[in-house]
Amino acid sequence: MGLLEALRVALEALRANPLRSVLTTLGVVIGVAAVITLVSVGQAARSRVVGEFASLGPDLLWVLPGKAEEGQQFATQEGRFTLTFSDAQAIQREARAVAAVAPWLQTSIEVTGGGRREVTTVIGTTPSYLQVRALRLQLGRFLSEADEEQRKRVVVLGPTLARRLFRAPELALGRRVVINGRAFEVVGAVHPQGQVLGVDLDDRAYIPFSTAQLLFSVNYASFLFVKAQDTASVLRAQREVERVLRREHGEEDFTVLTQSQFLGALDAILRVLTVALSSIAAVSLVVGGIGIMNIMLVSVTERTREIGIRKAVGAKRWDILAQFLVEAVVISLVGGVLGMGLGLVASWAIAARLLDQSPTAAAALPVVVLAFSFSVLVGVAFGVYPAWRAARLDPIEALRYE
Amino acid sequence: MSSVVELRDVTKVYRLGSVEVRALRGVRLQIEPGEFVAIMGPSGSGKSTLLNIVGCLDRPTDGAYLLEGQDTRYLSDDALSEVRNRKVGFVFQTFNLLPRLTALQNVELPLLYAGVPRAERRRRAAELLARVGLADRLYHRPRELSGGQQQRVAVARALANHPAIVLADEPTGNLDSRSGEEVLALFQELNQAGVTIALVTHDREVAEHARRIVTLRDGRVVRDEPVGSPRDAREVLRQMPGEPEGP
Repeated sequence: MGLLEALRVALEALRANPLRSVLTTLGVVIGVAAVITLVSVGQAARSRVVGEFASLGPDLLWVLPGKAEEGQQFATQEGRFTLTFSDAQAIQREARAVAAVAPWLQTSIEVTGGGRREVTTVIGTTPSYLQVRALRLQLGRFLSEADEEQRKRVVVLGPTLARRLFRAPELALGRRVVINGRAFEVVGAVHPQGQVLGVDLDDRAYIPFSTAQLLFSVNYASFLFVKAQDTASVLRAQREVERVLRREHGEEDFTVLTQSQFLGALDAILRVLTVALSSIAAVSLVVGGIGIMNIMLVSVTERTREIGIRKAVGAKRWDILAQFLVEAVVISLVGGVLGMGLGLVASWAIAARLLDQSPTAAAALPVVVLAFSFSVLVGVAFGVYPAWRAARLDPIEALRYE
Repeated sequence: MSSVVELRDVTKVYRLGSVEVRALRGVRLQIEPGEFVAIMGPSGSGKSTLLNIVGCLDRPTDGAYLLEGQDTRYLSDDALSEVRNRKVGFVFQTFNLLPRLTALQNVELPLLYAGVPRAERRRRAAELLARVGLADRLYHRPRELSGGQQQRVAVARALANHPAIVLADEPTGNLDSRSGEEVLALFQELNQAGVTIALVTHDREVAEHARRIVTLRDGRVVRDEPVGSPRDAREVLRQMPGEPEGP
């Protein structure tokens, strides 16, 4: 019997039990949809985050507190407070391949202004941050050296925060914002930066680094941003920064990462996350497969007599095997196609909403091919045992079966 | 020309748990082309076992069974399937049609496993159904047919691949006497056209439609005799009261 005939017989059998066939298919639909959604959303998120950081420019370096273990890019939590403002000054002074250094101190806190309260991210940094991050000013001015030296209470707002508190950045200029009980004057607003993974980079307030240390009673920096002179001098800048800090600290309790090292580490983390999530989703596909196997075993038992009749009139083991295997594969294939559609729609919706991305960017062809072939594989894997049981039935026993 | 069926001292021993059942204890039997043989015997005499072996659903434990000269003892399961497909036509007491398939599709089944192309299958199946008087029932499913009609579909199916022998296991057992007689008339007709038939029954009257009766008892052939003047099913039908069934 050819495969076409086997297909015809299988479709006939599936039509005979419509509800059962639909429910069994549903198990595969959900599994495939879950895998596709998680993998493609994960990929979209990864490319979005990595792209976001990459757009900062290849000449950027990160100085992180704590020494990364051998073979790892990021340090563990110990040594979180080893970086200081004087480190930034020393680097600025001595590392010649470095164009600019900006320390960074970040806190999530409630601020009030314009009669409203908002929880936002307050960042303490220096004027060079503007140059380091290639940030553009929308209006007013950014933090100045004088602000830093005199620990002035001035604040530059991100456009989202400005809008929330004062309805528009233009209306914010010159107004007062209270942070941690202290009044700050709004001196400027930066250009919109967009979102990363649902985090609004414009929902921020920038204040002088020295003011931030005083305000939050700390003497360290969360990390330092370093900008090299140009792309060619990134590695030289890294060596120089390391040399300066080693001398300043007397030990190597920090980690300097270049843009590409940072991106590599970030990408690796996000990839592991994506794989972990889709493995969980794959479990549901396996559950769907067990559903197929269950229903196929029932079907084989119910049709014992049919198998006996078919064997009596000349069906070989392969004919019976093919008949039931094709039936299982048809279920999983139909489930695969429907699940793929559902998964793509879901991942488009999620990508469009959460990642602010165009739908096509989320549709990853390899994922679709993978989920599709995986679903066929599930059909074969879970269909083989029931089909094999059917194929090796003794025709005499099968004909006697009531 | 060799015999259609030749059994040489065939024995069959089953194991049912720890109990050994000797179903056949050295059966010698030959059936020649064109014969119509009835195999009789009380239940437990080994009739069904014999039929399974002759039909290649089972292999002998000892002795040899030659179907058209071919020894079946060492054939694989798939090879036996092939032999059943080409050389044996089964007619069962319970008809054993596939309920979801139409009469036409049921008759097509042996042709399907013989690898006959679809169009050719259709044509031959329709021809066979016409031959058993069901030309106007091609697209009916078994439950839409009477018992007699279902059994005639089964006969058409048995004939599909021009088998060497048609094996009928109590073919009238589930039919009323008129329908049963009609099926027997069909067998006699086919036999006159040259089809070799072996019919298993416990009913003497049914057996007497054949031209030879083989009697089994305790796994041995105890009698093997020709029937002087077989019952003519057409004649029996004519003497039956009531209207004949069907068109």
